[in-house]
Amino acid sequence: MRVSVAVPSTLLIAVLLAAGCSAGSPQVAGPSPASAPPPVAPTSEAVPPQGSSGPFGATDIAWLQLTVAMAERLLPVLDLVPARTTDRAWRRLAARVEASHRADLARSHRLLGVSGAPATNPHEGHDMPGMVTEDELATLRSATGKTFHRLLAGHLRAHLSQSVRIAAAAQRGGIHPATTALAAAVVRGGTTELARLDRLDRPPIATPTAGIAAEPADRDAQAA
Amino acid sequence: MDRAAPLSAIRSRLRLASAIGALLALLGTYIVSTTARADAAPGINAIRVAEFPADCTYSHRLPDDPIIFPGLPGASHMHSFFGSTVTNAHTTLPDLVNSPTTCNPRVDVSSYWVPTLYNNNVPVEPTIATFYYLGEGVRADVVAQTQPFPLGLRLVAGNARAAGPGESIARWSCLHAGHVPPSKNFVNCPAGTMLESYLDFPQCWNGRDLDSPDHKSHLAYPVNQACPATHPVHVPKLRQVLRYPVSGDPSRFRLASGPGYTMHGDFFNAWPVEEMSRRVRDCIRPVIKCGHDGRPI
Repeated sequence: MRVSVAVPSTLLIAVLLAAGCSAGSPQVAGPSPASAPPPVAPTSEAVPPQGSSGPFGATDIAWLQLTVAMAERLLPVLDLVPARTTDRAWRRLAARVEASHRADLARSHRLLGVSGAPATNPHEGHDMPGMVTEDELATLRSATGKTFHRLLAGHLRAHLSQSVRIAAAAQRGGIHPATTALAAAVVRGGTTELARLDRLDRPPIATPTAGIAAEPADRDAQAA
Repeated sequence: MDRAAPLSAIRSRLRLASAIGALLALLGTYIVSTTARADAAPGINAIRVAEFPADCTYSHRLPDDPIIFPGLPGASHMHSFFGSTVTNAHTTLPDLVNSPTTCNPRVDVSSYWVPTLYNNNVPVEPTIATFYYLGEGVRADVVAQTQPFPLGLRLVAGNARAAGPGESIARWSCLHAGHVPPSKNFVNCPAGTMLESYLDFPQCWNGRDLDSPDHKSHLAYPVNQACPATHPVHVPKLRQVLRYPVSGDPSRFRLASGPGYTMHGDFFNAWPVEEMSRRVRDCIRPVIKCGHDGRPI
Protein backbone atom coordinates (compact mmCIF):
# COMPACT_ATOMS: atom_id res chain seq x y z
CA MET A 1 0.00 0.00 0.00
CA ARG A 2 2.79 2.35 0.90
CA VAL A 3 4.65 1.62 -2.30
CA SER A 4 1.62 2.01 -4.49
CA VAL A 5 1.02 5.50 -3.05
CA ALA A 6 4.62 6.60 -2.95
CA VAL A 7 5.48 5.87 -6.55
CA PRO A 8 2.69 7.90 -8.16
CA SER A 9 3.39 10.71 -5.69
CA THR A 10 6.99 10.95 -6.79
CA LEU A 11 5.95 10.87 -10.41
CA LEU A 12 3.31 13.49 -9.79
CA ILE A 13 5.83 15.82 -8.20
CA ALA A 14 8.25 15.35 -11.07
CA VAL A 15 5.51 16.09 -13.60
CA LEU A 16 4.23 19.09 -11.69
CA LEU A 17 7.72 20.47 -11.26
CA ALA A 18 8.34 20.11 -14.98
CA ALA A 19 5.09 21.92 -15.73
CA GLY A 20 5.57 24.73 -13.25
CA CYS A 21 7.95 27.58 -13.91
CA SER A 22 8.96 27.47 -10.27
CA ALA A 23 10.89 24.24 -10.87
CA GLY A 24 14.61 24.47 -10.84
CA SER A 25 16.14 22.80 -7.86
CA PRO A 26 16.83 19.06 -8.17
CA GLN A 27 16.69 18.49 -4.43
CA VAL A 28 13.05 19.57 -4.39
CA ALA A 29 12.04 16.45 -6.29
CA GLY A 30 14.63 14.25 -4.59
CA PRO A 31 13.20 13.52 -1.16
CA SER A 32 10.00 11.62 -1.63
CA PRO A 33 7.52 12.68 1.04
CA ALA A 34 6.19 10.07 3.38
CA SER A 35 3.60 7.74 2.01
CA ALA A 36 2.25 6.78 5.41
CA PRO A 37 0.37 9.74 6.89
CA PRO A 38 2.03 10.56 10.21
CA PRO A 39 0.18 12.57 12.84
CA VAL A 40 1.01 16.22 13.23
CA ALA A 41 3.84 15.48 15.62
CA PRO A 42 4.85 11.87 15.20
CA THR A 43 7.52 10.11 17.17
CA SER A 44 10.73 9.45 15.32
CA GLU A 45 9.95 5.78 14.79
CA ALA A 46 6.81 6.79 12.91
CA VAL A 47 8.95 8.26 10.14
CA PRO A 48 9.04 5.86 7.21
CA PRO A 49 12.25 4.12 6.14
CA GLN A 50 13.12 6.80 3.57
CA GLY A 51 13.45 9.20 6.53
CA SER A 52 13.14 12.10 4.14
CA SER A 53 9.90 13.51 5.40
CA GLY A 54 9.82 13.90 9.15
CA PRO A 55 7.16 15.54 11.24
CA PHE A 56 5.13 18.60 10.31
CA GLY A 57 5.36 21.69 12.49
CA ALA A 58 2.61 24.23 13.11
CA THR A 59 4.25 26.65 10.67
CA ASP A 60 4.40 23.99 7.93
CA ILE A 61 0.69 23.26 8.22
CA ALA A 62 -0.42 26.87 8.56
CA TRP A 63 1.59 27.82 5.48
CA LEU A 64 0.26 24.91 3.39
CA GLN A 65 -3.31 25.83 4.31
CA LEU A 66 -2.74 29.48 3.49
CA THR A 67 -1.03 28.60 0.20
CA VAL A 68 -4.07 26.54 -0.80
CA ALA A 69 -6.44 29.37 0.13
CA MET A 70 -4.40 31.98 -1.75
CA ALA A 71 -3.97 29.86 -4.90
CA GLU A 72 -7.68 29.07 -4.97
CA ARG A 73 -8.41 32.78 -4.79
CA LEU A 74 -6.04 33.71 -7.62
CA LEU A 75 -7.02 31.02 -10.15
CA PRO A 76 -10.44 32.56 -10.97
CA VAL A 77 -8.63 35.81 -11.78
CA LEU A 78 -6.21 34.05 -14.12
CA ASP A 79 -9.11 32.18 -15.74
CA LEU A 80 -10.52 35.53 -16.85
CA VAL A 81 -7.42 36.60 -18.76
CA PRO A 82 -7.95 34.88 -22.15
CA ALA A 83 -11.44 36.37 -22.43
CA ARG A 84 -10.56 39.88 -21.26
CA THR A 85 -7.39 40.65 -23.23
CA THR A 86 -5.82 39.76 -26.55
CA ASP A 87 -2.38 40.97 -25.48
CA ARG A 88 -0.05 38.01 -25.91
CA ALA A 89 2.46 39.12 -23.27
CA TRP A 90 -0.24 39.34 -20.58
CA ARG A 91 -1.75 36.05 -21.69
CA ARG A 92 1.66 34.38 -21.54
CA LEU A 93 2.38 35.73 -18.05
CA ALA A 94 -1.05 34.62 -16.81
CA ALA A 95 -0.52 31.15 -18.27
CA ARG A 96 2.86 30.83 -16.53
CA VAL A 97 1.49 31.96 -13.17
CA GLU A 98 -1.48 29.64 -13.55
CA ALA A 99 0.69 26.62 -14.32
CA SER A 100 2.95 27.23 -11.33
CA HIS A 101 0.00 27.83 -9.03
CA ARG A 102 -1.83 24.69 -10.11
CA ALA A 103 1.36 22.75 -9.48
CA ASP A 104 1.89 24.36 -6.06
CA LEU A 105 -1.76 23.76 -5.20
CA ALA A 106 -1.50 20.05 -6.02
CA ARG A 107 1.69 19.70 -3.96
CA SER A 108 0.17 21.62 -1.04
CA HIS A 109 -2.94 19.45 -1.08
CA ARG A 110 -0.84 16.31 -1.16
CA LEU A 111 1.40 17.43 1.70
CA LEU A 112 -1.63 18.39 3.77
CA GLY A 113 -3.01 14.93 3.09
CA VAL A 114 0.20 13.42 4.40
CA SER A 115 0.11 15.65 7.47
CA GLY A 116 -3.44 14.68 8.30
CA ALA A 117 -4.45 18.32 8.68
CA PRO A 118 -7.56 19.72 6.95
CA ALA A 119 -6.93 21.29 3.54
CA THR A 120 -8.32 24.62 4.61
CA ASN A 121 -7.73 26.66 7.68
CA PRO A 122 -11.12 26.97 9.36
CA HIS A 123 -10.24 30.33 10.78
CA GLU A 124 -8.76 32.49 8.09
CA GLY A 125 -11.08 35.18 6.82
CA HIS A 126 -12.36 35.95 3.38
CA ASP A 127 -10.26 39.03 2.92
CA MET A 128 -6.73 38.03 3.74
CA PRO A 129 -3.71 40.06 2.66
CA GLY A 130 -2.92 39.51 -1.03
CA MET A 131 -6.32 37.99 -1.77
CA VAL A 132 -8.69 39.27 -4.43
CA THR A 133 -12.11 40.03 -2.96
CA GLU A 134 -15.44 39.10 -4.55
CA ASP A 135 -16.04 42.77 -5.42
CA GLU A 136 -12.66 43.09 -7.09
CA LEU A 137 -13.30 39.93 -9.08
CA ALA A 138 -16.62 41.35 -10.26
CA THR A 139 -14.88 44.55 -11.39
CA LEU A 140 -12.31 42.50 -13.32
CA ARG A 141 -15.07 40.59 -15.11
CA SER A 142 -16.30 43.75 -16.78
CA ALA A 143 -12.92 45.41 -17.45
CA THR A 144 -11.01 45.25 -20.73
CA GLY A 145 -7.85 46.60 -22.35
CA LYS A 146 -5.55 48.87 -20.38
CA THR A 147 -7.91 49.03 -17.41
CA PHE A 148 -7.93 45.26 -17.19
CA HIS A 149 -4.12 45.13 -17.49
CA ARG A 150 -3.73 47.69 -14.71
CA LEU A 151 -6.13 45.91 -12.34
CA LEU A 152 -4.64 42.51 -13.15
CA ALA A 153 -1.13 43.85 -12.51
CA GLY A 154 -2.20 45.20 -9.10
CA HIS A 155 -3.79 41.93 -8.02
CA LEU A 156 -0.91 39.82 -9.31
CA ARG A 157 1.63 42.02 -7.58
CA ALA A 158 -0.25 41.94 -4.27
CA HIS A 159 -0.68 38.18 -4.48
CA LEU A 160 2.87 37.35 -5.56
CA SER A 161 4.46 39.72 -3.03
CA GLN A 162 2.44 38.18 -0.21
CA SER A 163 3.14 34.64 -1.45
CA VAL A 164 6.88 35.26 -1.52
CA ARG A 165 6.78 36.95 1.87
CA ILE A 166 5.03 34.15 3.73
CA ALA A 167 6.84 31.39 1.80
CA ALA A 168 10.14 32.92 2.91
CA ALA A 169 8.89 32.81 6.51
CA ALA A 170 7.77 29.20 6.05
CA GLN A 171 11.17 28.31 4.58
CA ARG A 172 12.79 29.62 7.78
CA GLY A 173 10.17 28.52 10.31
CA GLY A 174 9.02 25.20 8.88
CA ILE A 175 10.54 21.85 9.86
CA HIS A 176 9.10 19.43 7.32
CA PRO A 177 11.68 18.99 4.53
CA ALA A 178 9.32 18.59 1.57
CA THR A 179 7.23 21.53 2.81
CA THR A 180 10.17 23.89 3.27
CA ALA A 181 11.44 22.74 -0.14
CA LEU A 182 8.09 23.70 -1.64
CA ALA A 183 8.28 27.03 0.17
CA ALA A 184 11.72 27.61 -1.31
CA ALA A 185 10.35 26.83 -4.77
CA VAL A 186 7.48 29.27 -4.24
CA VAL A 187 9.93 32.00 -3.21
CA ARG A 188 12.05 31.43 -6.34
CA GLY A 189 9.09 31.09 -8.70
CA GLY A 190 7.24 34.04 -7.23
CA THR A 191 10.31 36.25 -7.42
CA THR A 192 10.77 35.33 -11.08
CA GLU A 193 7.11 36.01 -11.83
CA LEU A 194 7.27 39.36 -10.07
CA ALA A 195 10.25 40.33 -12.24
CA ARG A 196 8.30 39.36 -15.38
CA LEU A 197 5.34 41.38 -14.12
CA ASP A 198 7.58 44.41 -13.54
CA ARG A 199 8.72 44.26 -17.15
CA LEU A 200 5.12 44.34 -18.35
CA ASP A 201 3.88 46.90 -15.85
CA ARG A 202 6.18 49.17 -13.88
CA PRO A 203 5.44 48.84 -10.18
CA PRO A 204 3.91 51.84 -8.44
CA ILE A 205 6.50 53.60 -6.32
CA ALA A 206 5.01 56.73 -4.85
CA THR A 207 1.35 55.79 -4.64
CA PRO A 208 0.77 52.34 -3.23
CA THR A 209 -2.96 51.73 -3.25
CA ALA A 210 -3.41 48.03 -2.59
CA GLY A 211 -4.37 46.88 0.87
CA ILE A 212 -1.12 44.98 1.26
CA ALA A 213 0.82 48.23 0.88
CA ALA A 214 -1.35 50.03 3.42
CA GLU A 215 -0.86 47.48 6.18
CA PRO A 216 2.88 47.92 6.86
CA ALA A 217 2.47 51.70 6.74
CA ASP A 218 -0.25 51.37 9.34
CA ARG A 219 2.06 49.27 11.46
CA ASP A 220 4.85 51.83 11.18
CA ALA A 221 2.48 54.53 12.33
CA GLN A 222 1.71 52.47 15.38
CA ALA A 223 5.33 51.84 16.20
CA ALA A 224 6.18 55.53 15.96
CA MET B 1 -12.98 54.40 51.17
CA ASP B 2 -16.69 54.85 50.56
CA ARG B 3 -16.97 51.09 50.70
CA ALA B 4 -15.04 50.63 53.92
CA ALA B 5 -17.65 52.29 56.20
CA PRO B 6 -20.66 50.20 55.20
CA LEU B 7 -18.49 47.10 55.36
CA SER B 8 -17.49 47.69 58.97
CA ALA B 9 -21.08 48.51 59.86
CA ILE B 10 -22.17 45.23 58.36
CA ARG B 11 -19.42 43.40 60.18
CA SER B 12 -20.50 44.73 63.55
CA ARG B 13 -24.04 43.66 62.76
CA LEU B 14 -22.63 40.26 61.91
CA ARG B 15 -20.86 40.02 65.23
CA LEU B 16 -24.16 40.78 66.90
CA ALA B 17 -25.87 38.15 64.79
CA SER B 18 -23.18 35.74 65.77
CA ALA B 19 -23.76 36.41 69.43
CA ILE B 20 -27.48 35.89 69.03
CA GLY B 21 -26.70 32.70 67.18
CA ALA B 22 -24.64 31.50 70.12
CA LEU B 23 -27.62 32.02 72.39
CA LEU B 24 -29.89 30.18 70.02
CA ALA B 25 -27.45 27.29 70.12
CA LEU B 26 -29.35 26.13 73.17
CA LEU B 27 -32.24 25.45 70.82
CA GLY B 28 -30.30 23.83 68.05
CA THR B 29 -26.91 23.61 66.41
CA TYR B 30 -28.11 24.27 62.87
CA ILE B 31 -28.56 28.01 63.33
CA VAL B 32 -25.22 28.37 65.03
CA SER B 33 -23.34 26.62 62.26
CA THR B 34 -25.04 28.67 59.57
CA THR B 35 -24.34 31.96 61.29
CA ALA B 36 -20.77 31.06 62.13
CA ARG B 37 -20.10 30.13 58.51
CA ALA B 38 -21.56 33.41 57.28
CA ASP B 39 -19.53 35.32 59.83
CA ALA B 40 -16.31 33.66 58.74
CA ALA B 41 -16.87 34.19 55.02
CA PRO B 42 -15.31 37.40 53.71
CA GLY B 43 -18.27 38.11 51.47
CA ILE B 44 -21.47 37.93 53.48
CA ASN B 45 -22.56 40.83 51.32
CA ALA B 46 -20.99 39.26 48.22
CA ILE B 47 -22.67 39.79 44.90
CA ARG B 48 -23.87 36.38 43.85
CA VAL B 49 -22.38 36.40 40.36
CA ALA B 50 -19.55 34.02 39.46
CA GLU B 51 -17.12 36.43 37.91
CA PHE B 52 -13.61 37.84 37.85
CA PRO B 53 -12.41 40.34 35.23
CA ALA B 54 -9.28 41.43 33.41
CA ASP B 55 -9.38 44.90 31.87
CA CYS B 56 -6.76 45.01 29.15
CA THR B 57 -6.30 48.16 27.13
CA TYR B 58 -5.18 48.13 23.50
CA SER B 59 -1.52 47.20 23.10
CA HIS B 60 -0.54 47.00 19.42
CA ARG B 61 -1.56 46.06 15.89
CA LEU B 62 0.07 43.48 13.63
CA PRO B 63 -1.04 41.37 10.63
CA ASP B 64 0.08 38.36 12.69
CA ASP B 65 -1.63 35.43 14.43
CA PRO B 66 0.51 33.06 16.52
CA ILE B 67 -2.37 30.57 16.81
CA ILE B 68 -3.64 30.45 13.23
CA PHE B 69 -0.45 31.39 11.38
CA PRO B 70 2.42 30.56 13.76
CA GLY B 71 5.80 31.60 12.37
CA LEU B 72 4.27 33.48 9.44
CA PRO B 73 4.47 37.24 10.08
CA GLY B 74 2.20 39.24 7.79
CA ALA B 75 0.08 36.20 6.89
CA SER B 76 -3.03 37.38 8.69
CA HIS B 77 -5.51 40.19 8.36
CA MET B 78 -4.80 43.05 10.78
CA HIS B 79 -5.25 42.17 14.44
CA SER B 80 -5.51 44.40 17.49
CA PHE B 81 -3.73 42.89 20.49
CA PHE B 82 -4.62 43.25 24.20
CA GLY B 83 -2.78 42.00 27.27
CA SER B 84 0.81 40.92 26.67
CA THR B 85 2.66 43.62 24.75
CA VAL B 86 5.08 41.24 23.03
CA THR B 87 2.74 39.07 20.95
CA ASN B 88 3.65 38.54 17.30
CA ALA B 89 3.61 35.67 14.77
CA HIS B 90 6.40 33.82 16.58
CA THR B 91 5.00 34.04 20.11
CA THR B 92 4.95 30.91 22.27
CA LEU B 93 4.08 30.45 25.94
CA PRO B 94 7.58 31.24 27.32
CA ASP B 95 7.45 34.60 25.49
CA LEU B 96 4.24 35.53 27.30
CA VAL B 97 5.26 34.47 30.79
CA ASN B 98 6.89 37.49 32.48
CA SER B 99 6.08 39.75 29.52
CA PRO B 100 4.74 43.26 30.13
CA THR B 101 0.96 43.49 29.93
CA THR B 102 -1.73 46.09 29.47
CA CYS B 103 -4.05 44.15 31.78
CA ASN B 104 -5.45 45.06 35.14
CA PRO B 105 -4.56 42.85 37.01
CA ARG B 106 -0.90 42.93 36.01
CA VAL B 107 -0.57 39.22 36.71
CA ASP B 108 -2.59 38.50 33.57
CA VAL B 109 0.07 38.24 30.86
CA SER B 110 -2.26 36.35 28.54
CA SER B 111 -2.67 37.54 24.98
CA TYR B 112 -6.04 38.41 23.49
CA TRP B 113 -6.57 39.59 19.92
CA VAL B 114 -9.38 40.50 17.53
CA PRO B 115 -9.68 41.71 13.92
CA THR B 116 -9.08 45.45 13.78
CA LEU B 117 -12.18 47.66 13.36
CA TYR B 118 -11.98 50.32 10.65
CA ASN B 119 -14.11 53.46 10.44
CA ASN B 120 -13.82 54.83 6.88
CA ASN B 121 -10.65 52.75 6.58
CA VAL B 122 -9.12 54.35 9.68
CA PRO B 123 -8.35 51.86 12.45
CA VAL B 124 -10.33 52.35 15.66
CA GLU B 125 -9.36 50.70 18.93
CA PRO B 126 -11.65 49.97 21.88
CA THR B 127 -11.42 52.46 24.73
CA ILE B 128 -12.62 49.71 27.08
CA ALA B 129 -11.70 46.05 26.61
CA THR B 130 -12.86 43.70 29.37
CA PHE B 131 -12.33 39.97 29.51
CA TYR B 132 -14.79 38.49 32.00
CA TYR B 133 -14.27 35.01 33.38
CA LEU B 134 -17.73 33.75 34.28
CA GLY B 135 -19.50 30.77 35.78
CA GLU B 136 -22.84 30.84 33.99
CA GLY B 137 -24.80 29.04 31.32
CA VAL B 138 -24.55 25.70 33.13
CA ARG B 139 -26.21 24.16 36.21
CA ALA B 140 -25.06 25.31 39.65
CA ASP B 141 -23.44 21.95 40.39
CA VAL B 142 -21.39 22.28 37.18
CA VAL B 143 -20.30 25.80 38.14
CA ALA B 144 -19.21 24.43 41.52
CA GLN B 145 -16.81 22.07 39.76
CA THR B 146 -15.21 24.64 37.46
CA GLN B 147 -11.53 24.06 36.70
CA PRO B 148 -9.02 26.76 35.73
CA PHE B 149 -7.97 27.15 32.09
CA PRO B 150 -4.77 25.15 31.61
CA LEU B 151 -1.64 27.24 31.18
CA GLY B 152 -0.77 27.64 27.49
CA LEU B 153 -4.31 26.98 26.21
CA ARG B 154 -4.92 28.48 22.77
CA LEU B 155 -8.50 29.07 21.73
CA VAL B 156 -10.46 30.83 19.00
CA ALA B 157 -14.12 31.87 19.26
CA GLY B 158 -16.38 33.32 16.58
CA ASN B 159 -16.28 32.74 12.84
CA ALA B 160 -13.83 34.82 10.79
CA ARG B 161 -15.14 33.11 7.64
CA ALA B 162 -18.83 33.72 8.34
CA ALA B 163 -20.56 34.38 5.03
CA GLY B 164 -23.64 35.77 6.76
CA PRO B 165 -25.17 36.50 10.18
CA GLY B 166 -26.53 32.94 10.34
CA GLU B 167 -22.99 31.56 10.63
CA SER B 168 -21.98 33.88 13.44
CA ILE B 169 -22.17 34.08 17.23
CA ALA B 170 -21.06 37.73 17.26
CA ARG B 171 -23.19 40.29 19.09
CA TRP B 172 -23.09 44.04 18.49
CA SER B 173 -24.95 46.56 20.63
CA CYS B 174 -24.71 50.11 21.98
CA LEU B 175 -23.33 51.10 25.37
CA HIS B 176 -25.86 53.34 27.17
CA ALA B 177 -28.47 52.78 24.47
CA GLY B 178 -30.19 49.56 25.44
CA HIS B 179 -33.18 50.33 23.25
CA VAL B 180 -31.11 49.59 20.12
CA PRO B 181 -31.66 45.87 19.47
CA PRO B 182 -28.45 43.80 19.44
CA SER B 183 -27.44 42.30 16.12
CA LYS B 184 -24.87 39.91 14.69
CA ASN B 185 -23.73 42.73 12.43
CA PHE B 186 -22.84 46.35 13.24
CA VAL B 187 -25.65 48.46 14.72
CA ASN B 188 -26.42 52.16 14.38
CA CYS B 189 -25.66 53.66 17.79
CA PRO B 190 -27.04 57.08 18.81
CA ALA B 191 -24.56 59.95 18.99
CA GLY B 192 -22.78 60.02 22.33
CA THR B 193 -22.97 56.24 22.83
CA MET B 194 -20.39 53.61 21.98
CA LEU B 195 -20.52 50.62 19.67
CA GLU B 196 -19.91 47.47 21.69
CA SER B 197 -19.05 43.90 20.77
CA TYR B 198 -19.76 40.81 22.90
CA LEU B 199 -18.22 37.42 22.24
CA ASP B 200 -18.53 34.32 24.42
CA PHE B 201 -15.86 31.62 24.26
CA PRO B 202 -16.75 27.94 24.74
CA GLN B 203 -16.46 26.71 28.34
CA CYS B 204 -16.24 22.91 28.10
CA TRP B 205 -12.73 21.51 27.63
CA ASN B 206 -11.79 18.02 26.47
CA GLY B 207 -9.39 17.89 29.42
CA ARG B 208 -6.47 16.98 27.20
CA ASP B 209 -5.44 19.38 24.42
CA LEU B 210 -4.04 22.91 24.62
CA ASP B 211 -4.91 23.41 20.93
CA SER B 212 -6.56 21.53 18.06
CA PRO B 213 -6.24 21.57 14.25
CA ASP B 214 -9.09 24.06 13.88
CA HIS B 215 -8.08 25.83 17.14
CA LYS B 216 -11.67 25.42 18.39
CA SER B 217 -12.71 21.81 18.77
CA HIS B 218 -10.72 21.06 21.94
CA LEU B 219 -13.48 23.09 23.60
CA ALA B 220 -17.24 23.03 23.14
CA TYR B 221 -20.26 25.04 24.18
CA PRO B 222 -22.53 23.55 26.87
CA VAL B 223 -25.52 21.42 25.97
CA ASN B 224 -28.59 21.46 28.23
CA GLN B 225 -26.79 23.45 30.94
CA ALA B 226 -23.97 20.91 31.19
CA CYS B 227 -20.73 19.96 29.47
CA PRO B 228 -21.00 17.18 26.88
CA ALA B 229 -19.26 13.84 27.53
CA THR B 230 -16.70 14.61 24.82
CA HIS B 231 -15.70 17.82 26.63
CA PRO B 232 -16.37 17.04 30.29
CA VAL B 233 -14.21 19.66 32.03
CA HIS B 234 -16.03 22.88 32.87
CA VAL B 235 -13.76 25.95 32.67
CA PRO B 236 -14.73 29.62 33.06
CA LYS B 237 -16.76 31.16 30.25
CA LEU B 238 -14.53 33.85 28.77
CA ARG B 239 -16.66 36.81 27.67
CA GLN B 240 -14.90 39.42 25.58
CA VAL B 241 -16.52 42.88 25.73
CA LEU B 242 -15.09 45.66 23.57
CA ARG B 243 -16.33 49.25 23.60
CA TYR B 244 -15.39 51.28 20.51
CA PRO B 245 -15.55 55.09 20.49
CA VAL B 246 -17.70 55.21 17.36
CA SER B 247 -21.41 55.59 16.68
CA GLY B 248 -23.77 56.31 13.82
CA ASP B 249 -23.99 54.94 10.29
CA PRO B 250 -22.57 51.38 10.39
CA SER B 251 -21.89 51.33 6.64
CA ARG B 252 -18.63 53.14 7.45
CA PHE B 253 -17.44 50.24 9.60
CA ARG B 254 -15.62 47.07 8.63
CA LEU B 255 -13.50 44.52 10.42
CA ALA B 256 -10.15 43.41 9.03
CA SER B 257 -11.87 40.05 8.52
CA GLY B 258 -14.96 41.51 6.80
CA PRO B 259 -18.48 42.47 7.99
CA GLY B 260 -19.43 42.71 11.67
CA TYR B 261 -20.55 39.08 11.81
CA THR B 262 -16.95 37.94 11.12
CA MET B 263 -15.98 39.15 14.61
CA HIS B 264 -13.83 36.59 16.38
CA GLY B 265 -11.44 36.45 19.28
CA ASP B 266 -8.21 34.62 20.00
CA PHE B 267 -7.08 33.75 23.53
CA PHE B 268 -3.63 32.48 24.54
CA ASN B 269 -3.76 31.74 28.27
CA ALA B 270 -0.67 32.77 30.26
CA TRP B 271 -2.24 33.51 33.65
CA PRO B 272 0.06 32.27 36.43
CA VAL B 273 -1.45 28.93 37.46
CA GLU B 274 -1.88 29.92 41.10
CA GLU B 275 -3.53 33.27 40.26
CA MET B 276 -6.15 31.69 38.04
CA SER B 277 -6.70 28.75 40.42
CA ARG B 278 -7.32 31.12 43.31
CA ARG B 279 -9.89 33.11 41.32
CA VAL B 280 -11.69 29.96 40.18
CA ARG B 281 -11.73 28.71 43.79
CA ASP B 282 -12.74 32.01 45.43
CA CYS B 283 -14.98 33.61 42.77
CA ILE B 284 -16.35 31.14 40.22
CA ARG B 285 -17.09 28.00 42.27
CA PRO B 286 -18.72 29.82 45.23
CA VAL B 287 -20.50 32.24 42.82
CA ILE B 288 -19.00 35.49 44.06
CA LYS B 289 -18.30 38.60 42.03
CA CYS B 290 -14.63 39.49 42.33
CA GLY B 291 -12.59 42.53 41.37
CA HIS B 292 -9.38 42.73 39.39
CA ASP B 293 -7.45 41.43 42.41
CA GLY B 294 -9.56 38.29 42.43
CA ARG B 295 -11.12 39.14 45.79
CA PRO B 296 -14.83 39.61 46.50
CA ILE B 297 -16.09 43.07 45.66
